[in-house]
Amino acid sequence: MTQAAAPSLSTAQDESTFEFDKVTATTRSRPYFGPIFSNQDANEIDLNELIAKVKDYYSIAKVIDFLKQKNEEGRFKYKAITLQFADKLISDSAIIVQLLQEGLKENQSKNAVDGKCCSSCSNGKNKHLQEQKVWILADTSYSPCCIDEVAAEHVASDLVIHFGDACLNKIEKLSAAYVFGKPYLDHKAFVNFFEKTYKDVNTRVCLMADAPYTHHLSTLYQFLKPKYENLVYADIDYSHSIVIDANSQEREISKFVKISNRLIYGLNEEDLKKFNENENFFQEYELFHINLPESPRLLELSTKFSTITCYDSLTGGTFQGPYPSLMKRYRYMHIARTAGTIGILVNTLSLSNTKQILNTVASWIKEAGKKHYMFVVGKPNVAKLANFETIDIWCVLGCGQSGIIIDNVGDYYKPIITPYELQVALKPEVSWSGKWVVDFKEVMSLDAQEKAEAMAMAMELESETGATNTDDTDYKNDEPEFDSVTGKYVSTSRPLRRIIQHLEIDSPQADLERNGNENETTQLVKKFSGSVAIKGTVSTSAISLQNRTWTGLGSDFKNDEDDENDIDQEGAIVQEGRGGVARSYNLNRQAYT
Amino acid sequence: MVAFTVDQIRGLMDKTTNVRNMSVIAHVDHGKSTLTDSLVQRAGIISAAKAGEARFTDTRKDEQERGITIKSTAISLYAEMSDEDVKEIKQKTDGNSFLINLIDSPGHVDFSSEVTAALRVTDGALVVVDCVEGVCVQTETVLRQSLAERIKPVVIINKVDRALLELQVTKEDLYQSFSRTVESVNVIISTYSDKTLGDVQVYPDRGTVAFGSGLHGWAFTVRQFAHRYSKKFGVDGNKMMERLWGDSYFNPKTKKWSNKDKDADGKALERAFNMFVLDPIFRLFSAIMNFKKDQIPVLLEKLEIVLKGDEKDLEGKALLKVVMRKFLPAADALMEMIVLHLPSPVTAQNYRAETLYEGPADDASCIAIKNCDPKADLMLYISKMVPTSDKGRFYAFGRVFAGTVKSGQKVRIQGPNYVPGKKEDLFLKAVQRVVLMMGRFVEPIDDCPAGNIVGIVGIDQFLLKSGTITTNEASHNMKVMKFSVSPVVEVAVEVKNASDLPKLVEGLKRLSKSDPCVLTRMSESGEHIVAGTGELHLEICLQDLENDHAGIPLKISPPVVAYRETVEAESSMVALSKSPNKHNRLYVKAEPIDEEVSLAIESGKISPREDFKVRARLMADEFGWDVTDARKIWCFGPDGNGPNLVVDQTKAVQYLSEIKDSVVAAFQWATKEGPIFGENMRSVRINMLDVTLHADAIHRGGGQIIPTMRRVTYAAVLLAEPRIQEPVFLVEIQCPENAIGGIYSVLNKKRGQVISEEQRPGTPLFTVKAYLPVNESFGFSGDLRQATGGQAFPQMVFDHWATMTGDPTDPTSKSGEIVTAARKRHGLKENVPGYEEYYDKL
Repeated sequence: MTQAAAPSLSTAQDESTFEFDKVTATTRSRPYFGPIFSNQDANEIDLNELIAKVKDYYSIAKVIDFLKQKNEEGRFKYKAITLQFADKLISDSAIIVQLLQEGLKENQSKNAVDGKCCSSCSNGKNKHLQEQKVWILADTSYSPCCIDEVAAEHVASDLVIHFGDACLNKIEKLSAAYVFGKPYLDHKAFVNFFEKTYKDVNTRVCLMADAPYTHHLSTLYQFLKPKYENLVYADIDYSHSIVIDANSQEREISKFVKISNRLIYGLNEEDLKKFNENENFFQEYELFHINLPESPRLLELSTKFSTITCYDSLTGGTFQGPYPSLMKRYRYMHIARTAGTIGILVNTLSLSNTKQILNTVASWIKEAGKKHYMFVVGKPNVAKLANFETIDIWCVLGCGQSGIIIDNVGDYYKPIITPYELQVALKPEVSWSGKWVVDFKEVMSLDAQEKAEAMAMAMELESETGATNTDDTDYKNDEPEFDSVTGKYVSTSRPLRRIIQHLEIDSPQADLERNGNENETTQLVKKFSGSVAIKGTVSTSAISLQNRTWTGLGSDFKNDEDDENDIDQEGAIVQEGRGGVARSYNLNRQAYT
Repeated sequence: MVAFTVDQIRGLMDKTTNVRNMSVIAHVDHGKSTLTDSLVQRAGIISAAKAGEARFTDTRKDEQERGITIKSTAISLYAEMSDEDVKEIKQKTDGNSFLINLIDSPGHVDFSSEVTAALRVTDGALVVVDCVEGVCVQTETVLRQSLAERIKPVVIINKVDRALLELQVTKEDLYQSFSRTVESVNVIISTYSDKTLGDVQVYPDRGTVAFGSGLHGWAFTVRQFAHRYSKKFGVDGNKMMERLWGDSYFNPKTKKWSNKDKDADGKALERAFNMFVLDPIFRLFSAIMNFKKDQIPVLLEKLEIVLKGDEKDLEGKALLKVVMRKFLPAADALMEMIVLHLPSPVTAQNYRAETLYEGPADDASCIAIKNCDPKADLMLYISKMVPTSDKGRFYAFGRVFAGTVKSGQKVRIQGPNYVPGKKEDLFLKAVQRVVLMMGRFVEPIDDCPAGNIVGIVGIDQFLLKSGTITTNEASHNMKVMKFSVSPVVEVAVEVKNASDLPKLVEGLKRLSKSDPCVLTRMSESGEHIVAGTGELHLEICLQDLENDHAGIPLKISPPVVAYRETVEAESSMVALSKSPNKHNRLYVKAEPIDEEVSLAIESGKISPREDFKVRARLMADEFGWDVTDARKIWCFGPDGNGPNLVVDQTKAVQYLSEIKDSVVAAFQWATKEGPIFGENMRSVRINMLDVTLHADAIHRGGGQIIPTMRRVTYAAVLLAEPRIQEPVFLVEIQCPENAIGGIYSVLNKKRGQVISEEQRPGTPLFTVKAYLPVNESFGFSGDLRQATGGQAFPQMVFDHWATMTGDPTDPTSKSGEIVTAARKRHGLKENVPGYEEYYDKL
């Protein structure tokens, strides 16, 4: 017998296989600065001109003023300052930091002079005063519209300045300031387009824009209002957050109503009254939005207004779809009804109420007899989520403006829903309101409301029938559920309940108790003829692992050898391979030591 | 008339050899329900006077109104046979009493699924063929189905009265017509018949064909006449039977039989069948219908027919009916044929067991089925759900194949997804009640032994449409029924008031329970879809949904068609996709699968559940596949059983088996939502040519492989001349000659394609067969009626998927238009993405 040759690998793997793709440097255009900056190569623009523009655009002077603030003790209020940028603005970060540093240095030198004058101050203290450091946060951990507390905490920052479009959602701990910037908008083109879109001057239209463009709205409003009587516009609600160079002073003092995170101005008395009576008042309005909002925001707005037109400030046209659709969400809601395992995907750590909603969502799922797992994967993407094959549906906790993943193209392996949708799905009876709630607080209050109602109902029932019929519910628990998406019965929609029932059938109670005390501590996975429990609770992921065809090394031989399967084959001698984690195998480590 | 009680029937159930389970199947309007009535009349449930009009088995209001059967209905009948007859039964019997479980099934093609469900629980079939119209499209469909289920047919040629009264044919013409019909039935039988079933062709001279009129309540077999004459002539009955059919002539002068139609002098002889069988009937007809009052009593006396007091005063048709019914009672002929020639459960299950059971043939349950053993573990197949008067609850209707089902018995309810040893789709529950189902009535019984058809109360909430019920933990499922029709016509339903939504969802659930074939699902864009086999089926389903199951007003969209995505050629180059981390690469090619293989997969002939070696052999032997390829089929898709395949053609790739699960998962996903417009794929074979995987397990997990496999599948499909397939109906239209022009012009307008046009011999009727795209079929009946002055009525049944010519990625082609419209509806970008979207460069 000749010696068996090692099988040649089908494709040669050399170093290049495992190299990352190289990024070629690109020059960025800055269309938001105005027409002169949009088409030119960055190199052609005069640097000084650019710096001046940046200074003006981001109101750098006012930022510096803001940073100069001192507390009662006379120290700088903010010492470690982190700057967060929206992705497309990151190219301006270097200039901004330079400008800020210059500004602060000026400031500090002034301070130093002050220090000299003040004899009571020691040198050391002076030094302390001068230390105002500025960092750029290179990448946001979660959604770019929210303050990235996690990254900021890496440098123990006490202030985050957020540049660009923001959701202004409340965050847990850090102080934050926002700079929206003052992007360019061709008013003439806008008005033309607007008049072309709305030929009927009586149309009820609401003007809205993303945060940076909002500062144009009052001007545009004043220009258009004489012609369009029913025009209203949305301004940012400045009351909860610090916005540097907010144009709030320009605002005429008039009555407003709140919708989503915007304040609507321009309603007359009659409409105000109507609004208070009818929460769907804005269904009569058409929304005219400058720039395309992020998908979740667009979806939320689409539930509030009758139609949406998105104006592209750069091209002067509208955006082409696909737009997120609420009907798709309806479908996902139905999928969630029969999902057995739900992955709670944490896509924010900074939003206030995150912890509460997390616990609430988990308790809902448990109550419904479904299994949940919690995931924090950093910025979620298709590949990360597809790694967890057990999960039937994801529930994402994230910022309503851009932290919720809306899968318009269908790239994600399993659908992703919001806590509100999950809440609707877990109700015993199908319901759908056409609303789309993203705010955690609102969702939780809805939940509390519902629970109170349910309690009242139960009480009523109890008083009517004398006692609640527990037998009947027990009986119904293990019925398969009708999946209206596939039109089939699903028996795996409530794994917790199902398996508890099977445990009772399959193993006598005594046996279970005996095992419970002694073995369970050492035995990781306990088998109950096909279903799996880890330490007393059901693990759906263990079940799906059991269903895999590949169960580990050697299991593939069974499939490969067909007829010769019966003949005992002598395997190779086991050799010790490398171990450790991918970052550094112990093989390498040995080489170093 | 035999009065019968539930107890009597229950007693008979134990004598399994004397049970006959049979269904009545036929083309629409060939008179199944009416014939069934004459049997019911015999069993004593409704009075004799009403038989012929009542349509006892049409229990629903709309069935009675429309005059068509929509749901199949079961009844149990009791029959007593003479010793003489019993002697002739060629299988084991016990005594003279027989129990017949009869299922009357709908004839309209849209409800074929009901027929399938009925066939599953029966062993024999009474095929009804209209004497004038002959073998029609649905006759063929149901016959084919019954033969596939190994069900033995007997035939009745019905509506002979029409031939006599309306067409006024001669005796020889009638004989020729009979013999042609029998022949065409036999052609179908021999085409589709299973070898294990033996010769199941039908022969009038062996008593497996009857002739009669359901409406008038009379029928006869050659055997009946043979027995009458055998006494007279002193010849053996069986010999006489042979003489009374075919080229057999009697010379009255010489009193000799001959097989030549001329005697020694060259004078024409009359065919024995015409002389002995048809002659008395013709005489009766002519005497009564021509009001020859003097002849009638003579004839009656000769034929030993005694009329009662008031019956003597009758005239014309009414008299004819009474006389014929007394002369040749339909029930006698049919009962005789059923009892004598259809197999008992014991006989039938012996050869049906292997086709019924999913598990191995030496399995205890399979053996119990084979022996029809009432003492073994229970094996019961639920074939459909029958609504009860209690809204939302159903009787589970099925057949006990082994063991005995009892009220209160704890059973294992196994849904269609159940796999032995696993817990999915398995429920342990007690049977609440066992009932006997008889038309409009149900009668509770204590238990029911193997071989009988029953209804079960209290398990309906665990099964959607069908399932297996057993008491043995090791039992596999009984095979799932395969329907000959597909739900290809769809509508979207919507509630008018949002608050009714829960009712709609509940209603959809009930609807899908109550009909074996209707599909309810949700489209990608979140609409509730109801899919049926045709316009009529959908109409009935939606009516039920609106008035009964949901009970709420609905908005219903115009009907649309379900499409499929496929490829026409091999991928023009190897498709390559890299995983998100760029460390894994999949190289695949797509190619079309032969239509025969796709059909075999769809009909369950090639099944993913089968052992791969057996499957590979079958594919190699019958479909010309390469054995190694066939053995390396990784999976079927979508839903794990569709007609798309992944074939592993890689050579020695490390860690390959590790990614198999991810590849399978991704393939299900990709074939469910194809790249062109998110429809199911069909007939696409993906060949895995090569795979490069990262050496670390963490970098080749599901997250890396699943999205990549989907992308590469899409890329390969888009590189392989993607096409869309549309469903095509086979249309059969019977009409007089002058209407043919109209038919052609309508067909032309609707992209129809005529495949045959034949005149039915002996009649002025023409039969036109054509293929018609389902998409064009909406409103076809109306157009046809208009164009032909109401003379043509089409029968449409799903026939095949046809690949549409034209590139669907080109929005100007016909298929491109469909794709663009559908993409718009689903909220996708209007243009089909190019393969570059999914293809990665090396």
